[in-house]
Amino acid sequence: MKRLPGTLALFCTLIGLAAGIGTVAAHHSAAMFDQTKLLTLTGSVVELRWTNPHVTMLVNGTVKDGDQPSDWLMETTSPGNLMRVSGWGRNSVRVGDKVVIDMAPLRDPEKQGGLMKKVTLAATGQSFDTNIRDQEKPDIE
Amino acid sequence: MRNGFVVLLTLMAAASSAQAAEPVKNPPPTAQQWADLAKLPDWSGVWNPKITDQDAQVKTNMPPWTPKAAAQIATMLAAEKAGRPPPIFVDCLPEGMPSWMLVSHNAMEFLFTPGRVTMLGESDGNRIRRIYTDGRSHPDEPDPTFHGHSIGHWEGGTLVVDTVGVVPQAYIAISEAAGVPNNGDIHIVEHIHLATPDILNDDLEITAPHVLTTTWKTTRIYFRQRARKFDIVEGVCLQGSFSEKVDKDGNAVFAPISKEWGGNMTAPNAPH
Repeated sequence: MKRLPGTLALFCTLIGLAAGIGTVAAHHSAAMFDQTKLLTLTGSVVELRWTNPHVTMLVNGTVKDGDQPSDWLMETTSPGNLMRVSGWGRNSVRVGDKVVIDMAPLRDPEKQGGLMKKVTLAATGQSFDTNIRDQEKPDIE
Repeated sequence: MRNGFVVLLTLMAAASSAQAAEPVKNPPPTAQQWADLAKLPDWSGVWNPKITDQDAQVKTNMPPWTPKAAAQIATMLAAEKAGRPPPIFVDCLPEGMPSWMLVSHNAMEFLFTPGRVTMLGESDGNRIRRIYTDGRSHPDEPDPTFHGHSIGHWEGGTLVVDTVGVVPQAYIAISEAAGVPNNGDIHIVEHIHLATPDILNDDLEITAPHVLTTTWKTTRIYFRQRARKFDIVEGVCLQGSFSEKVDKDGNAVFAPISKEWGGNMTAPNAPH
């Protein structure tokens, strides 16, 4: 009986931690990202998952000068929504591209992840916005 | 005695005839039925949900929850506000009815065929609603499914849809992070119609006796795109759980990536 509260507490902690960690494959809220902050991640694309309901990218880079480059899990909306908002298509951003990403980081400081707000290709300067609430009108050309 | 025997024989013949009766079939559509589709309103194109309105209704149009459901919703909203949104849609299972209509961020399209309206959702190949408009009734005991059993009829330009038979586990979600399972016996009536030439409204009336005290009414808004670049492309939600790799034989394969609770991917640890 003495052990039970400890186990229960551990279980609750795990649930709490898991809920706070970057969730990707499901249709989920963006509240785990701190949208009062905007960080800039400069690096190169390691992996792109062009999938529904959330496109994700693994980017190896830095957010501060002097940092060692490390992997960050970047997330955004669906492929269809990206095309509508800024013409971002499957081949717009590729593995190996050098990118500059404005993003809202995960609230959990132990994890390196973020919600992409804008992605700029360093080679061409072309940038892609991701705000699906911005383009809510019919008949977009 | 002989009359009784004749009556008995007649009854037996009738029973036997009933047992040998033809199963119900869906007849092939007639040319007229195909032509009649042209008289329906134009719901072609790709429909995007109005997400800002979904956001607003969390504040302006809270469902009439039972006290027990309301308490759970309050806890979820508080957790979301604190930056720990509970993941209610996990493992790529369909949002189902009514949540697809309520909180999806993805596009959808309508197909009109004789006796049926079919809705296809972008997010995954299993976002499908089949709405039978051939005059049939609901089965006495429909197999419970994520999207339910839907029958509909046209009243002018409005499709009136009646849905039952939704799995009890399907959420009534007000956002991606707040909702409760309907817990069974949910009944959804919809009036779907164009509000303007390129804006579609789905007026939903949701009755869920285990979690709602009365019928909840909400209108969800969709806007139409016609540009071909917005054509809905196949989506496979589970694909997000795999990486594109090359195996030892040089084959292109999908390799599972490390997942954690709820089937979601984990972000890399911050280096120390």
